[in-house]
Amino acid sequence: MSDVFSAAIVLAVLAPLVSVAAVGLLALLADDHPSERMASRLIGTGLMASVVASVVVLCGYGGVFGEPVRGDVEFANWLRIGNFVIPTVFLVDGISVTISLFAAILTALVARFSVTYLHKEAGFVRFFTLLGVFATGTQLVALAGALELFFAGWEMIGISSAFFIGFFHERDEPVRSSVRAFATYRFSDAGLLIATVTTFELLGSARFSAFAGAATLPAAEATAIALLFLVSAMGKSAQLPFSGWLPRAMEGPTPSSALFYGAVSIHAGLFLLLRVWPVLEVSLVARAVGVLIGLSTAVYASAVVRVHTDAKGALAHATLAQVGLILAEICLGWTTLALTHLVCHAFLRLGQYLKAPNTIHDSHRLGHAHAGHPGWIERWSPDLSARIYAASLHRLRLDDRIDVAFSPVLALARGIDRADRWLRRAVTLDGQTS
Amino acid sequence: MTNVESAQTAPWETLAVCLLLLVAPAVVSQHVFRAWHLLGLAGALVVALFASTGELAYLAVAVGAMVHALTVVRATRTGAATLAVSALAAVGVALAIRQDHMAVAFGLSCLCIALRAGVMPLHVGVASICDRLPVVQTQQLSSTIALVFVHLRFVDHHAAAVALAPLLVRYGAAATITAALMTLVQRDLRGLYRGTTAMHGGMLLAAVGAASLDNFAAALLVAVAMGLALGGLGIMITSLEERVGPVSFQGPGGRAGTLPKLAAAFALFGGAGVGLPGTAGFVADDLLLHTLWMESPTSTVTVILSSALLAVATLIAFSRVFLGRTTPSLAPDLYPRERVVVVLLLLLLLLLGFAPGVLLGPADAFLSNLPPVS
Repeated sequence: MSDVFSAAIVLAVLAPLVSVAAVGLLALLADDHPSERMASRLIGTGLMASVVASVVVLCGYGGVFGEPVRGDVEFANWLRIGNFVIPTVFLVDGISVTISLFAAILTALVARFSVTYLHKEAGFVRFFTLLGVFATGTQLVALAGALELFFAGWEMIGISSAFFIGFFHERDEPVRSSVRAFATYRFSDAGLLIATVTTFELLGSARFSAFAGAATLPAAEATAIALLFLVSAMGKSAQLPFSGWLPRAMEGPTPSSALFYGAVSIHAGLFLLLRVWPVLEVSLVARAVGVLIGLSTAVYASAVVRVHTDAKGALAHATLAQVGLILAEICLGWTTLALTHLVCHAFLRLGQYLKAPNTIHDSHRLGHAHAGHPGWIERWSPDLSARIYAASLHRLRLDDRIDVAFSPVLALARGIDRADRWLRRAVTLDGQTS
Repeated sequence: MTNVESAQTAPWETLAVCLLLLVAPAVVSQHVFRAWHLLGLAGALVVALFASTGELAYLAVAVGAMVHALTVVRATRTGAATLAVSALAAVGVALAIRQDHMAVAFGLSCLCIALRAGVMPLHVGVASICDRLPVVQTQQLSSTIALVFVHLRFVDHHAAAVALAPLLVRYGAAATITAALMTLVQRDLRGLYRGTTAMHGGMLLAAVGAASLDNFAAALLVAVAMGLALGGLGIMITSLEERVGPVSFQGPGGRAGTLPKLAAAFALFGGAGVGLPGTAGFVADDLLLHTLWMESPTSTVTVILSSALLAVATLIAFSRVFLGRTTPSLAPDLYPRERVVVVLLLLLLLLLGFAPGVLLGPADAFLSNLPPVS
């Protein structure tokens, strides 16, 4: 049974990637693009194999085939150089099998939905290729038993997300939004990478099972690692002050918005915090910061959702409000509630996003919503209400503030570039330099 | 295979990577290279990797550098002069090894690596090659890998290497972040290549510094990953410019519609350069960060931030060059010979990404088992 179980884990992770490689090789070596049918069938097969494999993993975990399989499942090391080892290890527990199956099913559903939705769209093959990359990324994130594997999946989710946002690249706005989202991801990913290296050095291993020893860490070091994980999760889950990229991400095709920003990717940061809970648990500072950030994001998103006039933007902020609450739940230590909330919320939002293109039709059928009576804030202080309204309209100018914060870095970069050009002109033997 | 047996194959595996990088640009841009260039360089690589003494290995490195210099001299005298200086430095290393001045040998060898990899501010020559003949820079990377191998084998086991490790690691990290920041504000494709090369040069120098602490594998993998990713990127830039001329970020991009294969290959090589999961770049970055941490956590954080900056710069460049409203063009997409090169380089990047032990296991065993030079 253990061989079947191990094979199922490998299949769950690699089947979508193998199908992507097949489509990629066909696209690169053949003169024409693969047809829609071929691309969707190849990727669809990979996704379905991943679903079946996830079911087998769940059954193995539940003990359907005999002795339940739990804990670390080891494979040959990814790399071993002297004492340094990057293990290929997967962690099988209640959280991982739940997220693995849930992500595999949702991705396969969205793939099926997209066959019709994106029919004859110019980027059809690209969409399915990215979907395969995303599926592998989510399975790695869900099942990884060590931070290195987790980070690989995390990066794959980020890259596919950026390319999905810029999917309609003939317009400028999606491309700009894609770069902004990617920049946010990369800088929050830097937090995860630093945390990974730090964890390895302090705990002697980057395995999640090694986090059991987090209680022995000095308070300052535990807090530093926990805060780095928190920053990482905040970027991926669009928590304040990194919320600016989320409404921009709605530039992507609706099925990918549903999968990423309604269901799976937006919750990845929360999943990370559930995974590293032992280190978060011992850091009261990090937990307090997390609760504060989560609740602030929930309030912010609830205010913005009331002034949004497009369906996907409103849904994005509604999602964000719930994600903020789940973050607060995790940091308060209510991890089981948070996991349940996460999964139920993801299913609800996926349905709502996929139905978003029908909003106008539904609105006509059901009747337009009418403005309600003034709320208590408006009755209590019309001035404050107007200020909140204005702040919500321009979303606290989060993007502008981040641009301002980043402008000294750009100024420094331009200064270095000028110095470099001067140096190259000064020592060149070629007459002129670029 | 036992460690000792597997160690014997290390130069062969490194040679295979170097030869692929040597031949790939010649397959793509046939008019730039002559047969004697390739044969001379291949011969120099073989001698450098299999030489039994440090003197001979460094003399072969010097010959290789001179052949590169002759290849680029018409296009850029700055680049040729830099390569000639690096050849002189290599001869200096050979002499220093003969006289048993290992500290001098180590210093000159590091200078040689810095000049060839384009570490700021010694990057002027390599920057000039990137500007004027990027395809030769790709080829030059193959001999840089061999140079790193020779450095690790013959001069990196000395006490001076350990003493200078902190300096090299910090200097490399500073050069990395400087180059990454510079790359962020480039205005054309060759500027991107120039900056990316300088950034990777800094990483390589930091890795070479950390190698003194028995971390040979990280330095070699960084060199190989850099060679393959930047080599592929250089070839794609050359292929693009042969079709559409110099590419600025100011005008409309929109080339993904007409050159989809070239765009995809550019994205993959660019991604590999910033640690795309599944490629050698990912493992190289991870291994490097762990080795740097032992020497300097601040440098580790600096390199991580540099990598993030470079990733953003690469995506910005990709979006400016390939994305946007499709520009009508009669330029053909990748030719079959270019596709074969792309597939081979990508397969090697993926092989080393998924199974880095294929190269690193033998290389680490080979380099770690060498006796320390007194």
